[in-house]
Amino acid sequence: MTRLQRIILYILILIAGAAWILLSIEPSSSTTAFETTPAPQAGFAPPDFTLKTPTGEEYTLSKLKGSAVLVNLWATWCPPCRAEMPAIQKVYEEYKDQGFIVLAVDMTYQDDPFAVVPFANEYNLNFPILLEETGEVASLYQLRSLPSSYFINRAGIIEEIVIGGPMSETLLRTRVEKILQ
Amino acid sequence: MITFFRNLFTPPRHMILLILATWIGITLAEKHAERHGIDKDDISNVTFYSLLGFIIGGRLSFVLQIFPNIIKKPSDIFSINVDLFDPFGAIAAAVLVGMIYSQRRNLSGWNLLDALVPLFSILAISLGLSRLASGTSFGKETDLPWAINLWNAARHPTQIYETLASLLIFGLLWFQKQNPHSGTYFLTFAALTAGAQLIIETFRADTTLIFGILNQNQLIAWVILAVCFLAIELRIRKIQKTD
Repeated sequence: MTRLQRIILYILILIAGAAWILLSIEPSSSTTAFETTPAPQAGFAPPDFTLKTPTGEEYTLSKLKGSAVLVNLWATWCPPCRAEMPAIQKVYEEYKDQGFIVLAVDMTYQDDPFAVVPFANEYNLNFPILLEETGEVASLYQLRSLPSSYFINRAGIIEEIVIGGPMSETLLRTRVEKILQ
Repeated sequence: MITFFRNLFTPPRHMILLILATWIGITLAEKHAERHGIDKDDISNVTFYSLLGFIIGGRLSFVLQIFPNIIKKPSDIFSINVDLFDPFGAIAAAVLVGMIYSQRRNLSGWNLLDALVPLFSILAISLGLSRLASGTSFGKETDLPWAINLWNAARHPTQIYETLASLLIFGLLWFQKQNPHSGTYFLTFAALTAGAQLIIETFRADTTLIFGILNQNQLIAWVILAVCFLAIELRIRKIQKTD
């Protein structure tokens, strides 16, 4: 191929590329187009749930819009879940006055329900611990690993997801500061 | 099949795919290194040091960005959390280490890049697969028969498009026997990858728009494509002048 032929080929490809970019513009599209559909993925609204604490207090995730929320799915038998709880408690204490809430959802349907309260007392956890007794929330969040943490911003959109653990204090602080903005 | 794959490599296990790809890619690059005038041992060394640079650079860059937080618990610098990582800082550090190594060993940077193309190609394939496993870089909703069900909707399988395109690029370049102009092998890989991304980005849902309409990643891919064409032409002209 001669130099001239190559240059013509480059120009044709670049024109075709530019035309493709222009043709693929969708006037109605925006980065927030999928945010209204609930799904357990960054950029989406989190699937809603209503669960009770061991004392019977009820929490609905959608009612917490305006606050920065960490939904942490965990179980007492899961070592990384246990390991990250002190860090979650510490960060919760630091940021709760700024509107940060932790909903620690225990997978009670696959956990020992009598182990939850002693665990919370042992670690001095004072954020809401919710009991998931049916597996419905696990299904909504397409739970595949424990712990799974969903950082939801004040607008009610999932900003970050951390699958697995234990999360370090620094990682928690960094993520929480982001959702508090 | 896709559900089985996603369950098998559910995060954080999707990292296994990238680690496996790195190993296969280095092996293939070593096998074909001499074709590009690079010693097999140099490939082993440069990838080892660059990987080290990637890991340390990625963590260091992240730590510098969140310095006030890390001060509160400095031991977290050594935390096993893979999320405490800046991929751009990691790539920059890996490139820097690679450049220093090639300068110290008097290696031609272009020849080295050509020899590393099998590694880059395999990494591109595994990136598509790891995105499929983690469900990131997902597609727009569609009713096409090959749509996959992801995040509560039938969507374009953009991660599979990406994997297939990378496989095709790998196949095209793997069987190319001649490389008369050093650097053009790598630049062809970069141009093909940018071209593929320019098309695939059309079907992605999680895109960033600029001016409210233009897909940012498509524009970046177009610019990379133009730069690659220019660089290919400059390489050919320089080599022809030298000859």
